[in-house]
Amino acid sequence: MPRTLERDALPALARGFALLGSGGGGSPWILDLALRESPVWPVVLHDVADLDPATPCMALAYAGATMLLDERLPDEAPFAPAIAALERWLGHRVPAICSLEAGGMNGLACLPLARDRQWVDADLMGRALPDFDQLSLAVDGVPGLVAVGPTGAGGVAVIDGARADDVEAVLRAAITCAGGSAAVVVGGFTVGNLVEHGLPGTHARAQTLGERYLAEPDAGIASRADAIGARVLGAGRITEVLPDPLDLRVTAIEVRTAEGDTVRLVARSELLACMRNGVVEAASPTIVLAVDERTHDVLQVHELTAGRHIAVLSLPGPDWWYATAERHARVSPSHYGLSALEERR
Amino acid sequence: MNADLRLSSLLEHPDNGGVTLVTGRDAVWLDAVVGSTEGDLPADAADSLAVLTVAPPVTPWQIDALLRRVRDRGFTGLAIPGSASVGEGSLAVAERIGLTLLRVERPMALARACWQLLEGRDALTLSYVRKVARTIEYHADGLTDQLRYLSSSVGHAVALVDSEGVLQSAGEPLPPSVLGAIDFGRWSDIAVTTDGAAASVRVDSPSREGLRLVIHGRALGQTQLTALVTTAEVAMPAVAARILIDEVDAVSDVTRSSGLLGDFLESRGRPDVDIDRRMLDRGWRTTGYHLGFRMVGRTRGEPLELLRFVARELSGFPVSTHVTTRGRGVTGWLTFPKHPSAEELEQHVTRLRTLHTSAQASFPIATGIGSLGEGGAGLFATLSEAADAAKLAGNRVATGWFLHIDRLGLEQLLLAWAGNDTFVPAAQSLLAPLDPELLQTLAAYLDNESTLAATAAALGLHRNTVAGRITRIQELLGVDLDDPDVRLAVHLACRAVR
Repeated sequence: MPRTLERDALPALARGFALLGSGGGGSPWILDLALRESPVWPVVLHDVADLDPATPCMALAYAGATMLLDERLPDEAPFAPAIAALERWLGHRVPAICSLEAGGMNGLACLPLARDRQWVDADLMGRALPDFDQLSLAVDGVPGLVAVGPTGAGGVAVIDGARADDVEAVLRAAITCAGGSAAVVVGGFTVGNLVEHGLPGTHARAQTLGERYLAEPDAGIASRADAIGARVLGAGRITEVLPDPLDLRVTAIEVRTAEGDTVRLVARSELLACMRNGVVEAASPTIVLAVDERTHDVLQVHELTAGRHIAVLSLPGPDWWYATAERHARVSPSHYGLSALEERR
Repeated sequence: MNADLRLSSLLEHPDNGGVTLVTGRDAVWLDAVVGSTEGDLPADAADSLAVLTVAPPVTPWQIDALLRRVRDRGFTGLAIPGSASVGEGSLAVAERIGLTLLRVERPMALARACWQLLEGRDALTLSYVRKVARTIEYHADGLTDQLRYLSSSVGHAVALVDSEGVLQSAGEPLPPSVLGAIDFGRWSDIAVTTDGAAASVRVDSPSREGLRLVIHGRALGQTQLTALVTTAEVAMPAVAARILIDEVDAVSDVTRSSGLLGDFLESRGRPDVDIDRRMLDRGWRTTGYHLGFRMVGRTRGEPLELLRFVARELSGFPVSTHVTTRGRGVTGWLTFPKHPSAEELEQHVTRLRTLHTSAQASFPIATGIGSLGEGGAGLFATLSEAADAAKLAGNRVATGWFLHIDRLGLEQLLLAWAGNDTFVPAAQSLLAPLDPELLQTLAAYLDNESTLAATAAALGLHRNTVAGRITRIQELLGVDLDDPDVRLAVHLACRAVR
């Protein structure tokens, strides 16, 4: 059944996506500000089951260095060049849209377009993840996928029949050409594909998480964690932030708790694993979160700096990633070349 | 004796593969297990030390995980190779989970050390004994050198002690509490205190009694101490032999130098090619200026000990010094290349006086110092003066048995000669034939430079009377007063009987 979202749903939704962002996906803050004043409200959010399964659909996301968007604000229609290229390539209009990753600012990426198209409550990750080869449709090998990314100055790269690895390699190159960040679109699938090969209901989950997290303004970390079904893995002061000697995209954040325990967070653009005293407490696809110990704001990876006091939480990862060994292998730490971080389940 | 592996013993082991403690306190392990990686280790190993031969991973979380997995297998110690730094966080993890972390340069050597300490006690002993055997072929320069070599070979500190204290040592100093704990009555002994532990064995030396050879360390385990007792037993005969050799060397060297000094004094400082060459060989130069001194025992005693003491003290003097034994005492001199100023000379005499005073504490001696002399003749003169002065000093309690010839009136010297116990009876018998009148005449004649006129004036006699009396005296004594030696002897005799 379609749901109508009013403007006052925005804070909870933004916070929920921040929680699912696992420290990545971009801070929802900029879009939150932009959308507060937008005439788009109210918007309608369709369940996957509400629409004709044959409805063509596309997934949207800001990709690359989302941090850049804090500096270089997205223009009015950032997705227009990619959508135009996709529709020209496919030869028809794509009426349905969904989020490519339902974490961070990307959870809200569809919202400005929700007036003209049908916004479907589903995404391709169920949370935020670092790479394009982690799109659920591509992981399952859904045929006919088309990935489109601007290459800067009006240019667009179109990858037809995109396979997971191609999307990662080619789209990544396009984003680099576009200056480090870009609004990308993946199409060539239908709403029906999302039932099995996508992750339906992520927006509803985000909204619920956000509402519960914000329900008690004076609540402590423990009770907030309790409210959203999260586990507190530790709280303390960040003592050191070190790049990985083998892979510069990987950062290791060291936290010393009041009890003297050593909590380590291992991150790419998202927090991928948490270890306490040498034991892996949580690892991707489980969602690892860092929140400011005082304000309880959800922190992005780049906001984790030495001296900051944080609490580390974990939220259960989307079940979809655990369903098969192949799916799990795409998101577990070893996929990133990180050893000794596998989660015991 | 329990065969367990103590961290402190392992750190003390000379071949521990360069193991260092990274974090943790002193630990005791029941076993040591070697593996290339953590995966090779047994799943259930309580209170054991794990030695890994492959360097650990580099990322901090991998190190954390490694520490944790090793601890989860029951190990309480882990030795890792490689030089990658272990961060603060990982050290905190090790501390938190109760794992003692070691870093090792050569893990296989560490594994062998563990095995020796746990099971291969005989192998440990044998490895020590082998090292001692290697020191035997080493040609040591002396006891100190021998002990130093022994210490560096065995890998532990070594000391030669008697019940009073440490005589010689190499390596770390022996803590006094450990020395106090050593049982000097036993042939071999193991002493352990909180400051350290020592294995010791009696040294069978004919010349020095009550010596012990000690091998010690801060934290030696029982296994090591047992092995080190055997090591000390094996090393002891060589040390005892060395003590003897050093003593014989010293004595024969003194004998040679003493003989040379005797020859020189006999030659009365006159140039002699053979003596000059031998003196040069010893580094005894006759050129320059010399200040002689002599120290004589006031009681019967062995001058060798005194010589050792004096030679040691003289080495601190800022000029070239030589000393050797002569008779019941030692004779030595200071050599200056240029004429020293009166002030400098005074300083050196003061130094010798200080030396005399400090020697007095252990040896009852009398010291005499000559006046400054130049060249070979001057050396002879100053040594002779020193000998005379020493002889005099033997009776001078008031000056602390110390006399410097420059301070001494000639009169005193003469009196000293005259006062000699053997000289007085001889003088009396020499002059016995003379009646008091003749004796007075003879004394006055000699006092007045053997001139008749002056003697006559002094005695109030006629010149011819004096001449007649002198002729009679010569006849009575049967001597020729024209001979300077005779004249001196008779002159002295006159003084002695006066």
